[in-house]
Amino acid sequence: MPKQQRTLHFTGRKPATARLLLLVMMLFTALAGCSTKQEPATATGPRGPRKTAVLLVSHGSPSESWRNALFDLEKRVAPEILTSGSVTAVRTAFMEYAEPSIATRLKEFDREGFTDVVVVPLFLTVSPHSFDDLPTIMGQKEDPRSMETLKLEKIERYKPQAAIRMTPLLDFGDALRQNVVRRARALSKHPADEGIVLIGYGDEEYEKEWNELFVKVGQAVRQETGIDALTHGWCGHIVRYRPDSTTTAVNRILKHKKRALVLPVLVAFDENFQVRIIGGGIEKADGGKERVSYKPDSLLPDPAIEEWIVKAVKTEIETLNAKTRP
Amino acid sequence: MKPFDNARKINNILHRDLGYFFAALIIAYSLSGIALNHVDEWNPDFVITKKEISLDRGYAKDEITASSIGRFSALAGEPSFRLYDFPSERQVKIYYKNATMLVDLGSGKGTYEQVSRRPLFYQVNVLHRNSVEWWKWASDLFAFMLIVITVTGMFMLRGRNGLPGRGKWLIAAGALPPLVALVMQQL
Repeated sequence: MPKQQRTLHFTGRKPATARLLLLVMMLFTALAGCSTKQEPATATGPRGPRKTAVLLVSHGSPSESWRNALFDLEKRVAPEILTSGSVTAVRTAFMEYAEPSIATRLKEFDREGFTDVVVVPLFLTVSPHSFDDLPTIMGQKEDPRSMETLKLEKIERYKPQAAIRMTPLLDFGDALRQNVVRRARALSKHPADEGIVLIGYGDEEYEKEWNELFVKVGQAVRQETGIDALTHGWCGHIVRYRPDSTTTAVNRILKHKKRALVLPVLVAFDENFQVRIIGGGIEKADGGKERVSYKPDSLLPDPAIEEWIVKAVKTEIETLNAKTRP
Repeated sequence: MKPFDNARKINNILHRDLGYFFAALIIAYSLSGIALNHVDEWNPDFVITKKEISLDRGYAKDEITASSIGRFSALAGEPSFRLYDFPSERQVKIYYKNATMLVDLGSGKGTYEQVSRRPLFYQVNVLHRNSVEWWKWASDLFAFMLIVITVTGMFMLRGRNGLPGRGKWLIAAGALPPLVALVMQQL
């Protein structure tokens, strides 16, 4: 399974000012090392006492119900993240369509003196959004295509003073598999007569990774539910937001099985996706609605995903603490 | 002069001068409209120039170093790179000032991509998409003025070439295509 890499490899060539700054910092560090009094390393960073925030970042949508699902997620994970004491703020940001944007939140964190921000990207798997747009918005990368597109779409870029750390994507770990298995079980009545259709957003550039993810999740569903026919389709930009891919996938299952169970593998509920595109695709399928079981739900809400987020944040905080420990 | 003649004179002046004033914007929005209508078939904003690159062999992820990235970059004519990153276990993406290269490590094939703004279309699309914050107000005003230009256009002429004559039939004929499209959408 592809895993979001969090180490960026920069070119070895540094500008003269950067070299000078590095020299000054090294000198300062050496002098500081001579001091007899040392602050606890886990509580301080280069900008003073460490203050860490968590930012739950998602794509964003014009749909209010979609955005509310993400705000609800924040409410559910925040208490547990905050109990550790290492994190003092948990907030939500949207990449596009709605405020609070990523830049808005990062500016808030800077104003409030946060030194570290753990970003939790609520994206299914690798895509230009998760791999390029997000780091470009936060000033971690300068992907030329992202920069042009962000400008055109009026998405503000902001490089925070706080250090950014990113957790892996949702495909990392077991939460996604658990989620799809649970929802498939809830729809299933006679596994022998049924086949499953997973509908995801999809991506042109990383189609292979998306296909691999859906095949892997499908295999887990097969093993745990006894439903042996599986397929998947897309509903995002890769199919130009058209319902045809859903129709084709449903028809593939209905050729061999009496019923198709359709599961949207999308982060939250958006009328445009779950109703217009997927629902519209089901209506056009052979045999129509009668042979299809469909609940227009989404990955959220899900305690397993919430638990995964808490765990991912904890891991990042531990890594952060270990890095600054003497 | 009759009061109606005076009103018609003002109407015609409005139609003429608003037409002149908004001519550039009407053409810009029309061009952009055509471009954005076909957004599924082409990228109306950017020209994406791609070049296929073949490495000497396939690579494993753990073989990749700054030095190998430098060699891959040289194949695309890039003397240096900004950074590189791994989108997946099988791929490495290299970033340059105005380009990127995505390499499939296993096959040793890469795609070097340069992005540039599509002349004229990028600029008209910026306006049409309201990519400038305050432009939506100008755009609203423009839309309202288009209504004024259209309505004043209907009342420019009298007689058999005016609204009571051929005008009413042409308005009805022009309303037919959108009505047919809407009916078809409902079926």
